[in-house]
Parts: sequence; structure tokens; C-alpha cells
Amino acid sequence: MLSRLAPRAAIRTAFQAQKSTPHLLRAAPITSLFGDRISQRRGYATPAEERDLVIIGGGVAGYVAAIKAGQEGLKVACIEKRGSLGGTCLNVGCIPSKSLLNNSHLYHQILHDSKHRGIEVGDVKLNLKQMMSAKETSVNGLTKGIEFLFKKNNVEYIKGTGAFADEHTIAVNLVDGGETSVRGKNIFIATGSESTPFPGLTIDEKKVITSTGAIALDKVPKKMIVIGGGIIGLEMASVWSRLGADVTIVEFLGQIGGPGMDAEIAKNTQKIFAKQGMKFKLNTKVAGGDDSGDLVKLNLEAAKGGKEETVEADVVLVAIGRRAYTSGLGLENIGLETDDRGRLVIDSEYRTKIPHIRVIGDCTFGPMLAHKAEEEAVAAVEFLTKNYGHVNYNAIPSVMYTHPEVAWVGQNEAELKEAGVKYKVGSFPFSANSRAKTNLDTEGMVKFLADAETDRILGVHIIGPNAGEMIAEGTLALEYGASTEDVGRTSHAHPTLAEAFKEAAMATYGKAIHY
Amino acid sequence: MASVFNTAKLSARLASRYAPRCAARRGFRISSRNEAAQNFTMPALSPTMTEGNIANWRVKEGDSFSAGDVLLEIETDKATMDVEAQDDGVMVKIMSEEGSKGVKVGYRIAVIAEAGDDAASVEIPAEDKPAEEGQLARKDRPSPQEKLAGGLDPAESSPSSAEAPPSSAPESDASAGGAAATASAAQKETKPQSGRAQKQTYPLYPSVEHLLHTNGLTKEDANSIPASGPNGRLLKGDVLAHLGRVKKDYPSQSAARLTKLGHLDLSNIQLSKPTLPKTEAAKEAAAVPEIPQETEIAVPISLSAVIATQKKVNDTLGIFLPLSTFIARASELANEDLPLSKSRKPTANDLFNSVLGLDQVAASSRGRYTPQVMGLATPSSTAPARRAKKQDIIDILAPKSTAKKSIAGRPGAVGISTGANVFSVVAKSGEEKRAVEYLERMKLALEKEPGRLVL
Repeated sequence: MLSRLAPRAAIRTAFQAQKSTPHLLRAAPITSLFGDRISQRRGYATPAEERDLVIIGGGVAGYVAAIKAGQEGLKVACIEKRGSLGGTCLNVGCIPSKSLLNNSHLYHQILHDSKHRGIEVGDVKLNLKQMMSAKETSVNGLTKGIEFLFKKNNVEYIKGTGAFADEHTIAVNLVDGGETSVRGKNIFIATGSESTPFPGLTIDEKKVITSTGAIALDKVPKKMIVIGGGIIGLEMASVWSRLGADVTIVEFLGQIGGPGMDAEIAKNTQKIFAKQGMKFKLNTKVAGGDDSGDLVKLNLEAAKGGKEETVEADVVLVAIGRRAYTSGLGLENIGLETDDRGRLVIDSEYRTKIPHIRVIGDCTFGPMLAHKAEEEAVAAVEFLTKNYGHVNYNAIPSVMYTHPEVAWVGQNEAELKEAGVKYKVGSFPFSANSRAKTNLDTEGMVKFLADAETDRILGVHIIGPNAGEMIAEGTLALEYGASTEDVGRTSHAHPTLAEAFKEAAMATYGKAIHY
Repeated sequence: MASVFNTAKLSARLASRYAPRCAARRGFRISSRNEAAQNFTMPALSPTMTEGNIANWRVKEGDSFSAGDVLLEIETDKATMDVEAQDDGVMVKIMSEEGSKGVKVGYRIAVIAEAGDDAASVEIPAEDKPAEEGQLARKDRPSPQEKLAGGLDPAESSPSSAEAPPSSAPESDASAGGAAATASAAQKETKPQSGRAQKQTYPLYPSVEHLLHTNGLTKEDANSIPASGPNGRLLKGDVLAHLGRVKKDYPSQSAARLTKLGHLDLSNIQLSKPTLPKTEAAKEAAAVPEIPQETEIAVPISLSAVIATQKKVNDTLGIFLPLSTFIARASELANEDLPLSKSRKPTANDLFNSVLGLDQVAASSRGRYTPQVMGLATPSSTAPARRAKKQDIIDILAPKSTAKKSIAGRPGAVGISTGANVFSVVAKSGEEKRAVEYLERMKLALEKEPGRLVL
């Protein structure tokens, strides 16, 4: 939007400023190799020239691939229609929700938790507008940051909607009006995903909302129903419950947290959330809804049939999952296939059946996570430039940023049982961890699953303060094929929450010291 | 990379700081898959290098060297470069003497052993030749097309996955080298997933070190234990298997399982039914390919007012305005801001803007209609001129519809003065409202105030 208002001259100076930096670098011999390429890339694009790589989508997959390709010396263009980079994650997903989660947690803590810590505060008031604008500030800073990185890495940023004209050409409907077309030797599709709508409810982002609306409500709803007890649903439920909404979570399955979360952890999580005031209706199906009135009515019934009831809420959040988004991309023009869930079909090197077109991120297979998309972006570029890229899908962590946080990596108990693997379990509660004790934040535990024979770590599951940061160690251990003993014999600073991680590892191959 | 050296005109010495180091590492990694003595192969000093000449050996057989020592100088067509040792070791035997020309990358040029080994007693390993003579090492990897044909199973399509699945990029380059390619091929033939003993170049894991010590094994023993970890790392389970505490092949089996988990499961892809994308496609591209149903809409419009105006203008100003001018101008006016067709698919931008509430979706657009006029008398004197003019406007307004270009004129069939001439347009399905609106406006313009069209 801003750029639309910015005078041409200003843009031009920005381009010139960018021009001057690489000269400094050119003294290094390695840059001189690409020097001629870099100088060609300057200034405005002429539609005729062919890029080494054209990326459709400036979300996490797309922008990371663009920057990486720029760093590798490729002539790269990235097409994004939103008007700001970063995709769902940065604009309406991970980032804004984390801002709200953090600030709503502070509010909640000041309101309910500060007194017995010896801090007495006067009137605590919620200024939702300010909370939202704090969120905007974070988001804007980050999206502008990516734009800067594009310039820094000589990525051409095309604001518009791309569609395949042929196998090498993308027709772009420019945001600022007009059309252009870009040719690429290689093309990456990184168009991401969208919220799956709920049949029977019309999403207006006011009464019936998706995650997009859930980070932009203009007042705290009195009653809120969340359809779907996965990570997105629970995070948003946390935010609005902390800010004062009466939140009920309706989940079809018998457990919250989605399919990856370990059953024991999920049960613990639910207990803690229930204490925080959220209500749960598990094994419950939403049979239908009526959003015509002021309140949204939902008909619920037990998942296995029987027992019906009708509930009402000012706001219903539909969080039943996301689906690959490829509409308008012109796939039919080049004959690309999707599977029955709309995901683009790829091989192990992210190639479609047209080998120079690759697909990364949410619009293809695998978990729909920003960091997975990021890994794939780097790997896909490396397949181009180095013929080999690396993503270990068994070591991709999942994190739910509620309080306490929930994080896991690798397999859970149910999956190991299904695979017929003999495993042993070791866990350690934060209530026995000194740092958690001093923080008066002792809910949760660390749980290791390791091979019963070899002690190799198969899964790490954490619920507790800072679980999202702590899971990095588990991921590293998994990536390196470590055993719990390796973790248990590695020094962890005292007093830290991470000690609980070490002690849980010790409890797996031997005994924990402090429990 | 070679061109860097060339253009930058760096001395071979300086160049060696960078390139050969990784090249040497490449060489070491390749040979390190063997036990004790290792083959030292011609390193690729640049991505384009296929062969090189050995200018000078700086170490003799039996000499020991430490990491960073220059082992030999290699001449390529680009430059002469030093090859440094990556690790401490002993030169056991030099296979390619000084002055050897055109030694292919990946061919054994020497045999080295670990530091402290007795060069005389070390068993010299067999030459592991690149798979095909004279072929560039890189070509050993299946081409993307070949792999694609091999199916979508990641375990099959990724050649190095069996051996070192989550290996880093340089490691993969190493396995692209001829020696490792054959090694992994040989390994595949025998047992797909068995771990191999190899020299542990990284620090041992704490659990491994602990087990070795408590069981009276030395660090050297660790190099002979089959390793099932990522990049050939020795895991606790491997030592346990070596000690007989777990089944011998259990660690490698579990490694195989985890390797499989490390890849996307692309084995059972259910393609969406071909009908589904087609309907979607049709929806998406509604504007272009399909031939929508068409209806002809006709409205009788009296031209008497027009004739009167025409006459008046001719009388007062002496200018003869052909009927076509009136009709064309009325048409132009009537085409403005017509209601949108029902079948019009909003563009992605419209949708996106409306989602964000940034922009109102346009409620109207300019039409491209030109009327077919039935029963219009053609005064012969003005006919050619009118034709030409009409054609012009039509070209602008409706460049695609050639069918509508002809004006059906039936000379004298219906008297002009008697009024009703039938104006008709062809409307696609969903556009009826648009077409009717157009004709209504035509009628209004031509019947009520034709004067304003020309004045």
C-alpha cells in the first residue's frame, strides 16, 4: 500500500542505494565471479529477460528460497500478491498471534498472578486497540525487514498475482495495475495454504472467523466457540480466554492438540487449560450451524451419534485445519497434478512432473509449518545449485505457544506402538526443577521416548514454560541420532529449565537425580 | 571456481588456501570409508576439473605428515595448486608418480594411513575405481529424469539415502565422487542398510565414550564398529550391538526405519480425480474457453426523432450527419458502466482486496456491444461513408466479434419515418441484464434526445 503512494523518485533512490553496496563486496574474488550477473540484475526488470529462478509466493517458503537463491548468485524474482512479504505466517499467522499470545499472557498475569508474587498493581485495564497496534508494529517491522533482505540479496520483488502461461512463463497481474510476464529457467511454486472453511458456515471474519479474523477482533467476545482443538484453535482460545471471553473448544477427536501431540501430554494440557477457564467438548461433532442472527448457533452432537445440543456464541472460530492453496495459478495450463487434498504432487527433490518446476511449503506434502517450509526452500535451492539438499522430516519440531507451551519432535507413543517399536519412557516434572520453582511456574513435564534396545532418542515431548525454546535441543539430538545418555551426560546450566530436559533424559536410561 | 582463480589472477599458493582444502577433505572423506589404510584419490579442485597432472610430491613414501602440510602440487589447465593434508597421517605408497599427466578425478594417486601407523606393514586396499572409466564422477548420479522414472519412493530415488541420509551438502559432493559411488553401490548389492565401520572423525558421543571405557575398548576399536548414525557416526546402540547386548543388526534396522521417517512419504499419492480439476479449471478460466449460451435480445427503437434531428442539422447548419453517427454515438454512451455479467468471475485481485477490505469490487464495467439493426433503410448516397465509419468504431469496441460487424440493411423494406427499427444484440448467458440495459439506453438516447448525441 505504502509503495503505491510513494513517489517514483523515492523508489528509484532506494534502488540506487542498493546498487552501491555490492561494489564494496566486489573486491573479494568470489563475488567477481557473479559480478556480471549482479550488474545485469539492477534496476527495473525487462519482461523479456529470463530469470534463473522465478518463485510464485512470497511467504516463508518463497521468500527464504528467494533470499537463498540470491545468495547463491542466481538471478531470481519473487511474485507476491499480498502487498507485503512473509505470507500467512508473518501477516496473519504465527507472528501476529505470538504478539497477542505474549501480551495477553502479560495482561492475564498482571491481573491474576502478580499479587502473590508481591507486586500489587492498581487498576488494570485492557486497551485492545493498543494491543492490536503493538501487533501491527511487530508485523510491519518484520515484513519490511524481508523487503530489505530482498534488496540486499538482489531479489527482484514483483507485486502481483502470478499464473502459469506456459511451462516457463508466468503472467503477472500487477497489484498496482497492469500486467507483465516473467520467464524463468526454473520455477518454484510456494503459494501456501488457506483455512479450510466449515461447510454450512459463511466466514465473514466478524462473527464466523478463521485465524485471520481471530487476530483482529475489535472487541473481546462474550462467548466464543472454537471448532477444532488443534494448535491454532488452542492458541486463539488462549488469547481470548485470557482477555475475558468465555471460550468453549469443540473437538471431533478424543484428544486436543491435533494428531502429533502425545496423548499423555495432550491430557495434561487439557487439564491445565481447563484450570485456566477454557471449556472442552471432545468427541463432539458440529452437525450444522446458523449464522443468520446476531449470535451464531451451532448444533452439536456426540461424534459417535446421539446426544444433540445447540450452543450459541458471539464469535465462532473455525480452526479445523488448512488446505493447499493453488487456485488461480493456472495449473491446468501446464497440466500439473494435485492429489485428492489439493496438494501439488512432487518427488523427493520437490520436482513436479515438469522437472524445472518445484513445489515447496504448505501447497505440497508434509506438515504445514513455517520452519518446514523454510527447510524445504533452502533444500530446493540447493538441489538447483548443488544437486543435493537436506531436510529431515523426522526432526521437525512442533510448538504450541500457549502457556504453558507445548512442544514436541519425533514420534509419540501411539506412533511407536503402531510401528511396533519397543521403547522406554523417561520423564521429569517441572515441579521438581529449581528454576521453574523460583519462577512460580511449575506446570508441565519433559518426556523422552527412546529405543528400548539402543537408547536412541525417538521422540521428545514437552509441556511447560519455555518448551518451544527447549525443543531445539531435542531436535538437535534427534538429528544427530543421539541417545538419552548423550543428553544426560551433557552439562546443562544451573539453575535453568533446561535441567529438566537433562533430568528427563537421565530418567530414561537411568535415574533422575532430583526426582 | 576455476574461473575465479583465472580472472582474479591469484597465485596458486593463495588459491590453495581455499579450494584444495575442501578438495582434500573431499578426498579424505571418500577414502575414509575404508579401514586402516585409505586410498587417496585425485581431488577435484574445481567443479569443472575432470583431470589433472601431478607436478610434484612434497612427501615421500613412509613420511608422516600433519594436518595442513602440503602433500603434492597438482597442475590443471587453469593453475597449479597445492593440496594440503586435512588430517595427520602417513604416506604409505605413491601410486601416481611425479609428472603423471591427465589423471582423472577420483582415481587413486596414493595410499595413506593414520598417523602412527607403520607404513610398511599397512595393508594396501584395493583400488576403488570410479564406476565407469573416463566418466565424470558427477555423472554417476542418476539424472533427474532417470530418478523421476524410478518412481516417487524417496528411499529409491535418492541414491545416497541408504548410506548417509541426512548428510550435509559437501558430504553429498563427496558421495558424488566416484569412489564413494561405487562403495555405496557395492553396499547396496550386499545389504541395503547395514552400518559400516568407519573412522570416527568427530568427537565420540559421551555415551559411546563411556561404553568404550567401561568395556575396555580403545578409541581405535571405535573405528572398526559398524556405525549406524547420521553421516556414519557411531551411536550408543552400535557399541551395544558390538558388545552383543543388542542384536547385531538391530541398530541398522532402526536407523533404516528412522531414515524412512526422515523423508516425505510420497508413496501412496491419491491423485485428485481428473474431473475435479477440470471443473475448477473451467471456473477459473470462465472468461476464455467455454462457449457460453447466447441469447439474442431485440428492442424496437424508432428512428424518427433521429431523422428529424438529422434534417434539422442539415437545414440549419448545412451539415449532413449520417444515421450511423447517431447510432455509434448512442452505442458508445449506452456501453458506459453497464451492470456486471452474472457469470463474470472476479479476478484474484478483486477477491483478495475484498477479503482485506481494501477496495470495493467494481460493480459495473464498460460494455462492448454493437447493435444489429433490422429494417434500417440505407440511403445509397451515405452508405459507403457510414460503413467505413461504423467499421472503425466496431473495431475499437468489439475487436473480437466479427460476426456482428455486418449491418443487416434491407433497403426500403421498412420506412424510416414509420419508426420502429429492431435493434438487437447477442448476449451471453448471465449477461442478459447487461444487454437489456444497453438497449434501453440506446432507445432512450435515440428516441428522446438524439440532438445531444451530435451537439
